[in-house]
Amino acid sequence: MRRFVIVCTVFLIAALASGGLAQQRKLKAGFIYVGPIGDYGWTHAHDQARKIAERTLPWLETTYVEKVPEGQVEAFIDQLIKGGAKVIFTTSFGYMDGTIAAAKRHPDVIFAHATGFKRAPNVATYMAEFYQVYYLNGLMAGALTKSGKVGYVAAFPIPEVKRHISAYALGVRAVNPKATVHVRWIYEWFNPAGAKEATEALIADGADVFAFTEDSPTVIQVAAQKGLPSFSHYSPMYRFAPKYVVSGQLVHWEKIYIDFLRKVYTGVYTPKNLQNVDYWWMLPEGAVELGAQPGMPINPVFRPQLQAVKVRDPKLGVISVYDLVFRRLREMSTNPPRFDPYEGPIRDRNGVLRVPAGKRMTQQELITMEWAAPGIVGPWPKEPK
Amino acid sequence: MEATILRALAFGTPLLWAALGEIVAERSGVVNLGVEGMMILGAFFAFATAQVTGEPLWGLAVACLVGGAAALVHAFVCVTLRGNQYVSGIALGMVGLGIAGLLGRGWEGTPLARPLPEVSWLTLSGILLSVALWVFLRHTRWGIVLRSVGEFPAAADAQGVPVFAVRYLSVVFGGLAAGVAGGFLSLAYRPSWTEGMTAGMGWIAIAIVIFAGWDPLRAVAGSLLFGALFHLSFRLQGYLAPEALKMAPYLGTILALTLATARRGGRWQEMPEALGTPYVRGER
Repeated sequence: MRRFVIVCTVFLIAALASGGLAQQRKLKAGFIYVGPIGDYGWTHAHDQARKIAERTLPWLETTYVEKVPEGQVEAFIDQLIKGGAKVIFTTSFGYMDGTIAAAKRHPDVIFAHATGFKRAPNVATYMAEFYQVYYLNGLMAGALTKSGKVGYVAAFPIPEVKRHISAYALGVRAVNPKATVHVRWIYEWFNPAGAKEATEALIADGADVFAFTEDSPTVIQVAAQKGLPSFSHYSPMYRFAPKYVVSGQLVHWEKIYIDFLRKVYTGVYTPKNLQNVDYWWMLPEGAVELGAQPGMPINPVFRPQLQAVKVRDPKLGVISVYDLVFRRLREMSTNPPRFDPYEGPIRDRNGVLRVPAGKRMTQQELITMEWAAPGIVGPWPKEPK
Repeated sequence: MEATILRALAFGTPLLWAALGEIVAERSGVVNLGVEGMMILGAFFAFATAQVTGEPLWGLAVACLVGGAAALVHAFVCVTLRGNQYVSGIALGMVGLGIAGLLGRGWEGTPLARPLPEVSWLTLSGILLSVALWVFLRHTRWGIVLRSVGEFPAAADAQGVPVFAVRYLSVVFGGLAAGVAGGFLSLAYRPSWTEGMTAGMGWIAIAIVIFAGWDPLRAVAGSLLFGALFHLSFRLQGYLAPEALKMAPYLGTILALTLATARRGGRWQEMPEALGTPYVRGER
């Protein structure tokens, strides 16, 4: 009897201990941010996603460093790894070379670099891509402009921003073939004062609908002061002007983070097999969403206006822009998408054929795209002839 | 044209307020490179106060006081402890950005319920303040006392002028004005809070002080010029290379400084003689 009790106790302790150990098997992930988490743009969105991932995955622990200068990323990677991080997310394009170099020095740590194109056995890349959503915003902008001039306040003339503006312009022209998209560059990801004056300049030039790439709600606020509609960018900005924000683009980085971390945790991803792991996630995967507020693709205030504008589509016949937006949204949310804004024939604004009829642009073509879609007005650095 | 003038006034208002404050501080002999920090503290406290009380004017008042309090720290370090003014100012700038960023967590992402109008009495009172300061510095006894402290504090001291008190008051005035400038940003210019929203405006204000030769009236011209150039750098993008336009305000500063220096024989006539030097009684 006594022996039995001892055996039972030993088993019990062993069971408890192993249970405890199983619970203790945690994964620590470190995030490196380029901006402050309070920017209400890029870094804010990544940090929200980090928090959601931590809430969703009970075995996940996270740490982060913010405002890391792009040239100094390696030192901060080392610091996070010293702190026990086994997975490192570097969330800015400029961290690319630093990430690759640090990955060489830490072959047993898993890295994922956002927006880049260089990979290694222990470095994956990921991106939540918006061009589909920009096209939908463009459809609505084309229906809402009265002056025929649509304004765009843009950050940097790089392929990512250019393909978004071009997708937007393709949407505008699909509804309003004579409309033009006027672009102003502010050469910064975050510069509220610049965004403000750029919007004022566009208003002075006659633009009456606005979209933008800048990490603050400035453009929305300026447009709303003049009673003009706009599209939100990146974070939920509906409440900055509930009467004037039509729709916008929302990001859900957590979809990527949760999927990636789960696969690391269950051993699908190892520091040896990431060479070809590239997340290019869009509407089908839920990494991006149409709207200025989660769950609200189009501000109901604009429903009557968008329903009143009808367009003739070769396949769909006469359809209101409101219905067209939801139709295209559905078609682009299937995997693979049944509709793609960058499906040929597409000529650039100088008349050069860029996408042949029946072809879609590849991811490689999209991430290196420099040409401008028809209807875009304004300087376009590095525009191919 | 009309749009450009309006935009110049709007963007120029915070620059003018911050520059006027800095002119007074520097006229008394104390450089404060922490304008950016005082502005961002003002911007945050203005926003938070206005949001909580529902009254933007309270926000502006608190912004003013917070700017003054931040400047008081600088005055203590530079005047009483005789620390290096440049180091203290830069530190104040960084600490201000840090504190505002820390306190501002969770305040981003909400619009201000009741914003202040943009080109309004704040713009007008900025211009009136510069006229008043010009008269004060040039034509009143106390203005001359303030300037003498900045030019030759030992002589002022010998005359019985309380050098430390004058410098304290001038630096704190600079903070009050920078606080108002920051409040204008988060209450009127862009009625919301975002970390780092001053985005270098404090440094432009310091450039305007030099550009204006420490003269409050010329600071009005300087602020408007910077405001106009800033707006035009977006307005004219259809005609000129955007990269060149982005440089324009700064190129303008360098050009103006070069011309001003060349004309005066390579020497700053207006620059307060004792600028940047702590005053120690009995030392020269």
